[in-house]
Amino acid sequence: MELFLQQLANGLVIGSTYAVVAIGFALAFTVLRVINFAHPDIFMVGMFAGLAATAQWPALGLLVTLLAGAAGAGLVGFALERMVIAPLRGRDVLMTLIGTLGVAIVLQNGMALIVGPDPVAYPSLLPRRFIDIGPVALTLRQVANFAICLLLLGLVSLYVRATSYGRATRAIAERPDVAAAFGVNVARICQITILLASMMAGLAAVSVGMLYGSASAFVGLLYGLKAFICMLVAGNRYFEGVMVVALAIGIIEALVTGYLSSSLRDAAAFFVLIGVLYFRPNGLFGSYNT
Amino acid sequence: MSDLLQVTNLAVSYGSVPAVDGVSLAIEPGELRVILGANGAGKTTIIKTLFGLLRPRAGQIRFEGQIDLLGLKPHQIHRLGIAWVPEGRQLWNTLTVADNLRLGGFAEADKALVNKRIGAMFERFPRLRERQEQIAGSLSGGEQQMVAIARALVSAPRLLLMDEPSLGLAPLVVRDVFNLVREINKMGIAILMVEQNARQALKVANWAYLLETGHIVESGPADEIGGKQRVQAVFLGGHA
Repeated sequence: MELFLQQLANGLVIGSTYAVVAIGFALAFTVLRVINFAHPDIFMVGMFAGLAATAQWPALGLLVTLLAGAAGAGLVGFALERMVIAPLRGRDVLMTLIGTLGVAIVLQNGMALIVGPDPVAYPSLLPRRFIDIGPVALTLRQVANFAICLLLLGLVSLYVRATSYGRATRAIAERPDVAAAFGVNVARICQITILLASMMAGLAAVSVGMLYGSASAFVGLLYGLKAFICMLVAGNRYFEGVMVVALAIGIIEALVTGYLSSSLRDAAAFFVLIGVLYFRPNGLFGSYNT
Repeated sequence: MSDLLQVTNLAVSYGSVPAVDGVSLAIEPGELRVILGANGAGKTTIIKTLFGLLRPRAGQIRFEGQIDLLGLKPHQIHRLGIAWVPEGRQLWNTLTVADNLRLGGFAEADKALVNKRIGAMFERFPRLRERQEQIAGSLSGGEQQMVAIARALVSAPRLLLMDEPSLGLAPLVVRDVFNLVREINKMGIAILMVEQNARQALKVANWAYLLETGHIVESGPADEIGGKQRVQAVFLGGHA
């Protein structure tokens, strides 16, 4: 029972990170109609932007590192939209797909040129402490990571449901032509959406770097793959559905690690994907027709 | 009186296939005009082109005499005071009825005014007030058409483009919809409607165009055009 609860907690921590990255994918896919292969590497750039800031101003602590991560990732995401996605709008989807893939390769290898191909140490930023919640023990950093990610997810949900721009964002996701004909500036909402998705990824990236104490130019791959699976399993109709699935996949991975073997961990998400798509090809919560 | 909307020699193609060829039409403030045509005649193409959702191959579209709609994006065209009731409703089915109506007022900066207009819609359509927190996709066809019309009216348009508002509705509901069309027009809103239900449409409209395979083949006052042989043959079940 204790192992179960402990792995449940560990799973929620990692799942919340998947959820933030997955929401970024889902936003880009439903609103801009692009599979943004550069998204995981925007996450990675955020991680290093935070690292650079904390190396420059070590006294300023977690908050500034988080802000730098958001700013770095946001900047790259915004530039990607302006320079690659927007010019290719209305063309074949394969073009934007290849365009973002190209940007992903440039970001990964560009960063590897700067920081080297091997993982580098990430500052811990928070004191090394354990927090006991009943039989479950989590590090302060795990709790912080979970809190940051959960806050971001809550804010996204609030944004798309309770604000005018957020409603317009969902309107574009379902019917872009009708949204435009009702006065929604689709191009502007697309910019805001990608900026939002990228900044969220940057914040989560700093939190993850701090959690594991390391950063690498190729860190995006793992999170990107998991997050992409989360979106496919959930379907893109409800952002909250993607969040729930990401948390569930985090928990499943932690349970597989705890009860079976850590070498099976990364396979678990794929088994879930194959199982769900076999029975519900549009995802658990349904997808928009595109 | 000068034209509110004037379309001159409009030609639109899908690839190399012409959908609309050399269409000219106009509507004055406060008028209710109808474009009659069968499936595939090009009715929806005309409406989508007016909204900047399709690029024409040739022709001119002017609003209030001097504004060239062809240079504008859809959201800019909407802000001139043009609203759309699309074919088959096209609501945001995953959003609530209330959110659909709020989006109708997206372009209006004064949100208190938007709320007032939504309140007026709920007065007119009490059923929608009851269902305001329901997902729009869960409503019946008739209720969805009410939402589609209310959504357009929340933007307080001067010109309403209605694309087959009677499509797929029960006969009793169809009559309600046409009564509503007449009522909206009486409020001073100009309406350009495309329809297949010629009998009902000609009763409410004051001018009609007959569209066949992308060309306007007849046009005239609604009460006269119903007597034309071509219209009789195609729409009113008469013999050619």
